[in-house]
Amino acid sequence: MPIYKAPLEDVRFVLDEIVGAGKLAELPGYQDATPDLIAQVLEEGAKLCEEVLFPLNQSGDAEGCTFENGVVRTPKGFKEAYGTYIEAGWQGLSCDPAYGGQGLPKLVNTMLEEFICSANLSFGMYPGLSLGAYNALSTYGSDPLKQRFLGRLVDGTWAGTMCLTEPHCGTDLGMIRTKAVPQEDGSHKITGTKIFISAGEHDLTENILHLVLARLPDAPAGTRGISLFLVPKFLPNEDGTVGPRNGVACGSIEHKMGIKASSTCVMNFEEATGWLVGEPHKGMRAMFVMMNAARLAVGIQGLGLAEVSYQNAVAYAKERLQGRSLKGAQHPDKPADPIIVHPDVRRNLMTARAFTEGARALGALVGYQLDVAERHADERTRKEADEFVQLMTPIVKALFTDIGFDAANIAVQVHGGHGFIWETGVEQYVRDARICQIYEGTNGIQALDLVGRKMPQDMGRLLRRFFHPVAADIEADMETEDLAEFVLPLAKAFAKLQQATAVIAQKGLKDPEEAGAAASDYLRLFGLVALGWMWLRMVKAARMRLATEEGNAAFLEAKVKTARFYMAKLLPQTNALFITIMAGAKPLMELEESAF
Amino acid sequence: MTIKRAAVIGSGVMGSGIAAHFANAGIPVVLLDIPAKEGDDRSAIAKGALQKLLKADPAPFMHPKNAKLVTPGNLEDDLHLLADVDWIVEAIVENPAVKADLYKRIDPVRKDGSVVSSNTSTIPLGVLVEGQSESFQRDFMITHFFNPPRYMRLLEIVGGEKTRGHALAAVADVCDRQLGKGVVRCKDTPGFIANRIGVYWIQTAINAAVDLGLTVEEADAVVGRPMGIPKTGVFGLVDLVGLDLMPHIAKSLLATLPENDAYRSAFREHPVITRMIAEGYTGRKGKGGFYRLNRAGGGKVKEAIDLVTGEYRRSDKPKLESVTAAGRDLRALAEFPDKTGQYARRVLAHTLAYAASLVPEIADSIVAVDEGMKLGYAWKQGPFELIDRLGTDWFAELCRSEGIPVPPLVEQAAGRPFYRVEDGKLQHLTTAGVYDTVVRPDGVLLLADIKRASKPVWKNGSASLWDIGDGVLCVEFTSKMNALDGDVMAAYGKAMGLIGDGKGDWKALVIHNEADNFSVGANLGLALFVLNIGLWPQIEEMVEAGQRTYRALKYAPFPVVAAPSGLALGGGCEILLHSDHVQAHAETYMGLVEVGVGLIPAWGGCTEMLARAAANPKVPKGPMPPIATAFETISLAKVAKSAAEAKDLMYLRPSDGITMNRDRLLADAKAKALELAANYSPPEKTTYTLPGPTGAAALELFLEGFALQGKATPHDVVVCGKLAGVLTGGPKADVTQPVTEEQMLSLERKAFMELVRTAGTIDRIEHMLTTGKPLRN
Repeated sequence: MPIYKAPLEDVRFVLDEIVGAGKLAELPGYQDATPDLIAQVLEEGAKLCEEVLFPLNQSGDAEGCTFENGVVRTPKGFKEAYGTYIEAGWQGLSCDPAYGGQGLPKLVNTMLEEFICSANLSFGMYPGLSLGAYNALSTYGSDPLKQRFLGRLVDGTWAGTMCLTEPHCGTDLGMIRTKAVPQEDGSHKITGTKIFISAGEHDLTENILHLVLARLPDAPAGTRGISLFLVPKFLPNEDGTVGPRNGVACGSIEHKMGIKASSTCVMNFEEATGWLVGEPHKGMRAMFVMMNAARLAVGIQGLGLAEVSYQNAVAYAKERLQGRSLKGAQHPDKPADPIIVHPDVRRNLMTARAFTEGARALGALVGYQLDVAERHADERTRKEADEFVQLMTPIVKALFTDIGFDAANIAVQVHGGHGFIWETGVEQYVRDARICQIYEGTNGIQALDLVGRKMPQDMGRLLRRFFHPVAADIEADMETEDLAEFVLPLAKAFAKLQQATAVIAQKGLKDPEEAGAAASDYLRLFGLVALGWMWLRMVKAARMRLATEEGNAAFLEAKVKTARFYMAKLLPQTNALFITIMAGAKPLMELEESAF
Repeated sequence: MTIKRAAVIGSGVMGSGIAAHFANAGIPVVLLDIPAKEGDDRSAIAKGALQKLLKADPAPFMHPKNAKLVTPGNLEDDLHLLADVDWIVEAIVENPAVKADLYKRIDPVRKDGSVVSSNTSTIPLGVLVEGQSESFQRDFMITHFFNPPRYMRLLEIVGGEKTRGHALAAVADVCDRQLGKGVVRCKDTPGFIANRIGVYWIQTAINAAVDLGLTVEEADAVVGRPMGIPKTGVFGLVDLVGLDLMPHIAKSLLATLPENDAYRSAFREHPVITRMIAEGYTGRKGKGGFYRLNRAGGGKVKEAIDLVTGEYRRSDKPKLESVTAAGRDLRALAEFPDKTGQYARRVLAHTLAYAASLVPEIADSIVAVDEGMKLGYAWKQGPFELIDRLGTDWFAELCRSEGIPVPPLVEQAAGRPFYRVEDGKLQHLTTAGVYDTVVRPDGVLLLADIKRASKPVWKNGSASLWDIGDGVLCVEFTSKMNALDGDVMAAYGKAMGLIGDGKGDWKALVIHNEADNFSVGANLGLALFVLNIGLWPQIEEMVEAGQRTYRALKYAPFPVVAAPSGLALGGGCEILLHSDHVQAHAETYMGLVEVGVGLIPAWGGCTEMLARAAANPKVPKGPMPPIATAFETISLAKVAKSAAEAKDLMYLRPSDGITMNRDRLLADAKAKALELAANYSPPEKTTYTLPGPTGAAALELFLEGFALQGKATPHDVVVCGKLAGVLTGGPKADVTQPVTEEQMLSLERKAFMELVRTAGTIDRIEHMLTTGKPLRN
């Protein structure tokens, strides 16, 4: 049976040292979000994840969702767990108090989401999508729409979805065909088919609010002609109770590789009543604004899976007795040594650990900047934070989901043959992790977003938000002798990143294919440097605390050693990436299409 | 004959502008108008015109002091002043009777053998000389300037049957060399060359836009850049000229054009335009034109007229599929299957066919027609060059498909181009149907001709080296906007390598190009990207490479002569500061504008300006005055509005030369380079006596004052503080210890690198690149 304990100590460390203790409470409206309060909230959340959600993960995977007569049933126990979840107010954790939310920073919710994703990714999909719908509606919805619907999304009695994909278009949303016809009362009739709709239909809530991308009759072609609509499963009555059924129904659910307890639906809209959210033809803009939060959330899914995979790998590596250490018996009292004595097992464990902790730090930093971008009193600070988030979003999404998948694979590998067995529980993580690399923009698309959109924007202004602070941190400690083993590798990798950036930008100007060919390698290079930066900051903080004898020495020593592993064993991958980037597009493109 | 003194009669916009330009050429000029009816001063009209000249923008004078060369007077009391002048330009009202009367009055007082010319744009010469004395007729011609006379390069010159050839040649020569004009000989036909074709083109383009239902923006987007015409296009141009002027020109043309002229059938009044004129929407000078900036409610919204309703609406930059798809291919544009392609087809077919049908009626050669349109209407290519771009065969087919008779010259070309290059020489098709070499006047050397005749000695992505003859090598910038980058520096390096000690095949270097602007400075876009990713060492290397290269050029064992025209800003100005001699086109606009983007000149600009100020006899002696002079010029990012003004600002030395005619610039520069090469030794190294921190403190005090008055922004104080530090020799300097040039350059570099890392400077660079305007932060 798999195990899971929420990494509360590491989260606290990251919040205190990477985000900065008390920084969240400095933001207007978040005065109450003190470190102690956040710690309490997360402790409670951890309990819920460990005790309520985690036990349903494997059974949910076994049972999956069922579809019968247009009705979707979630696996046994999900409904009760969801009840517990919303009763405690978790759904509204980061929502506006005006609509019944707790009004805590989004970062707190992001940290909680990591726990949820570790415990039960499938379950997490339902509240996650509701929160996405809440964000869209609260940012773009008209006041009447907000008054009518937001409270129900916040208290979790109604759920939400995002209906984008259609049978013939996923990545290229400009081709959307779903129609919206204006009605005299100001509403619209929505007709069309959407596929791959997560949480499109289920039995957790009394109503479901679909946010649907569709075209108005006068819409220009392409993405500039797409509008966003709110379409409820049941039309609400005046008093807010659930009224008659709307013209939207689930046609079938998909049978998937992973996240089986999350329903993935074909949704048919037939003259369904809906209301415009935001301005006509500006639906994509609304989507883009939410995409930063949504992509960050998917990145956090990757992080959550990496964490739980790592924990199970470690547990097994410590308890599995097999053979002896290469140096001779380490535990002569036992029939064999635990496999953790082996360098190669260590390599696996350290890799998962260093990536996971680094990603947690970076995720927290980006999540914090998202709060800053929304809440900070100073406009310039808000804008700079937003630029940082825009730049880092594709990196967090792609890098973290790759890390999640890799860590899950590592867990299977460490388990040996047992890892391949369903009952052991870790192969589920591999299957669940796979979708994170695909949805919300494939990782290839993330890489293109980085080199094609984020990199050249305003002659590299977004890049400044990352490169300047990293350069400053490196410069500040370049001469610090006892940090040399951390700073120097980072400085080298950073220089490679700078060079690669300059080269791709220059080549990409003349030939976009050159940028495209470098994109994925470049994103990985960027991500590795970003984690290296996090590790430098973490090791400095840990050293500082050790010097002042503050905190858990074992935890802090482990940080330093993990940092050393990252700098010595993982960061140098940047060299190979640099070489492949410099090799350009030709090796990819020269084979004629007909030769494939 | 030489023109030592001139007179202009009529002090309207054209007359006074012509007088100002005589003064720009250093020719004393009398400016006469009718006596004022009221007030004590009977010369008040001409005097008022002179005052207006000093306030006009763009400035008619290249230097305010030129106004002293203009003597205003009136036609009754001061007629005797005409007895001294060699050339009288008449620029009064376009009325033959009034002109005839004036001619009768001046004929008796004018000097024997002096020339009289009219600036008429509409009245035939034959009409003007009717009834005038025989000697008057021999001395009379038409010289048609374009408005504004200082800036428009075309001068159409028309002689009559009796006009002395000698006089015609003398005036043409003065216009060319001294006034810097592109002189085109025309026949005595209505509208001469440029306006005859230009007015037809405007009419055709407006008609077609209305008929095909294009917006003014769409029409201008097609007829502007893609055809090599200024981006104002046709509607934007009419806004500049004045909508109300168009009916006047049309009326006079219709009165004089031949019976069967195509303009007669093209001419049409559009109700929307007629109404606009009636309501005062006459263009930029009026309440607005086809375009306007609506400042209602404190906003600034660009609006355009709807050609159907006549109402203003928000103006949007059109994105035309045809223009994007065609790129530089004019034929593809004309073949594009939508209404904008149809528009291009119609405008090109009619305009070019009309132009082609007018030779030899209006000029003896196609070259004159092309020159006229290029110089008078700022077309990048003349009508015949445009036909060549389309192909004469293809164009003939186009005419047929548009139902226009194929012009005889096009028929005669029979598929051959109007221009070809033979043995490296440009040739044109004559009216006899044979090719003849295009002959440039003596003293005209064009890089374009050299480029046609030869391959570059060497080139890279941003610069080329050309052999301009007699052992002189020329560096030409070829980058976008002539921005300076590592490749330009590499080209200088290559040039120095080739020339060596100047005693081999190569003797001297000339820095010149024929773009609109010499160079707007370093490639900031590239720099900003590098800054954004924090690649400081690469920035420092860019600075050092510039310093190294410019210094090497300065001390090279061969002469370096720069020949700029148009803008020479930032690093483009600094290269001029390092040249042995600058032969500047009169319309050169130099400036060290780095402060505008939060930087200081660091390719030796601060150091050279200090040296110039110290060497200038007008600057008082002692360490502080030269520092204060350089500080003022650089901190205010002053840009000289002419070569003459650049001398005032000390961007140019008293010894540097000015050439009025752009076409003569390269030849002048080359001659100077060869003259210097005859006995060349590089300049001695200079040291600087500088006060150090005490001097810097004085300048900073000054800065604080400005900041308190709100004249300097917080980041100005930062930037100029660094500038003060550099110009005063840095923290270690004092007057007892001379500062070397190397030390100065290192100070420049250090200050530059410190500034480049400040948020304020990065914001300025970014703002300049995204908006084209300086940020005041």
